[in-house]
Parts: sequence; structure tokens; C-alpha cells
Amino acid sequence: MSKTPKLLMVLNVLSLILVLVGYYLALFYAPTEKVMGDVQRVFYFHVATAWVGMVGFILAAVFSAIYLIKKDMKWDMLGLASVEISLVFFFITIVLGSIWARPAWGTWWTWEPRLTTAAILEMIYLAYLLLRQGIEDPEQRARFGAVYTLLGGLSVPMTLLSIRLFRTIHPVVIGGGGSETMGMTDSMLFVMFYSIIAFTVLFVTLFWHRIRLGIYQEKVERLKSEIYN
Amino acid sequence: MEDTPNTLNYMYLGFTVFTVVMGIYIYSFYSRWKNLRQQETSLQELNK
Repeated sequence: MSKTPKLLMVLNVLSLILVLVGYYLALFYAPTEKVMGDVQRVFYFHVATAWVGMVGFILAAVFSAIYLIKKDMKWDMLGLASVEISLVFFFITIVLGSIWARPAWGTWWTWEPRLTTAAILEMIYLAYLLLRQGIEDPEQRARFGAVYTLLGGLSVPMTLLSIRLFRTIHPVVIGGGGSETMGMTDSMLFVMFYSIIAFTVLFVTLFWHRIRLGIYQEKVERLKSEIYN
Repeated sequence: MEDTPNTLNYMYLGFTVFTVVMGIYIYSFYSRWKNLRQQETSLQELNK
């Protein structure tokens, strides 16, 4: 397998620095929220991981659509990479939200619209990974994956809009208005947007690594079929 | 005016969860890469 490209090495270092600075800003720079206290600091990572997760799921739907048009396996690989990384980020989003909910709402979990749609979204894509493993033929697997991801992509706007469409106790972070808004100061907003940028760079870095891993996996699979067939 | 609640432990838990989950995921890249390299080496030897 080819050496790690220089740009990827730069991205590795950049991601590490950006995330470490993100920790610093969330833990020390952002002011303590008066109503919720220090637990509110996890909010910055909660929002940023949610953003990255959702963008990744949408990207996967786009790659799937391109695969169905072009029938080129590389788009399937991109879709799979996107889903896998987004699943990890979105899992963190749900857990951080739950940790935040405990002192804020008095419960770890409640079946309100945003939490329910988020849990369904995570399970849809978890099932995607499991179901893929059950299909032997690569082209059939890619076709199934593409259709599934396209349909699964519909749950992303549903999750995103759930706090606006239904009555919910989940706060509206941006453009909400009214009593549910977070009432964030400028420094809080700065940390939130910084975290979103830092995690987007981290996503790009992980995405590149995952694609390289996929290419290597394909190479080994080819070698295996050459020997055994 | 109510005092700000002490929710420091939840904050620690949150950042720990993030660090551990992300750490495990990044380690999985290394582990999967290492497995593939081992497989490739043994397949190449078998092919000789």
C-alpha cells in the first residue's frame, strides 16, 4: 500500500491541534452557563458531532445516488466510509445529549421527538452496516447499500426538523426564538462555531483514512480471490 | 436568584465519553490496517 500522502499527514496534525484547542475553548474559555452549570460545556461537542454526523449521512446519500447512476464501485466505498464515520459521530451526539439531559431534564432519556428521531436515525445506519455484511456479491451489496442509504437519508431532515415540527423539550440552538433558545453569549457562539469547524476537519481526515483502508481492503480481497479461484 | 448547580461530574463524563469513543475508533483504523497487512503478507507467501 502507498505511503501516507503529505497532505493527509498535515490534516492529521491539523485535526489533532484543532480538537485539542476545542477542548481548551469548551473547558476553559467558554463561560459557565448559569442555569445548567458546567455540564453545558459538552453542548459544544454535542452540536459539532451532530453537524458532522448529519452532513456525513447526507453525503452518503449523494454518493449512493452517484453509484446508482454510474455503477462505479468507488462511490459505494465513499458511501460506506461516510456512513461509518457519521455513525461514530452521531453515537457520541446521542450519548452527550443524554449526559446533558440528566441534570437539565432530570432523566437520561425521554421519548420526545428529537431524541426518538435521532435514535431511529442511528439504528437505520447501524442496520445498514449489519445488512451489508450479509450480502456476498459486491455489486449486489453496493446496489442494496445505495438504495438503502438513499432511503435512509430521508430520516436526516426528519431528525433535523423534528424540533420545529413537533412539540419538544429539546432546545432550538440556531434561529429558534422564544423561550427554548439557549440564550448564548458571543463567546459561547464562538466556541460552538469553532467546534463545528474543528470537527468538520476531523471528519475529512477520518474520511480520507477510511477510503485508504477501503482501497487496501479491496486489494487484499482481489489477491485472495486470485489465489483461491 | 438560584445558585448555579454543580454539574461538573456530568461534564467530566461527557468529555471522557467523547475521548474514549473517538480513541477506540481511531485505534480501529490502526488495528484494521495491521490485520490487512498481515493478510496481504500471508497471501503473497501462499502465492509464491
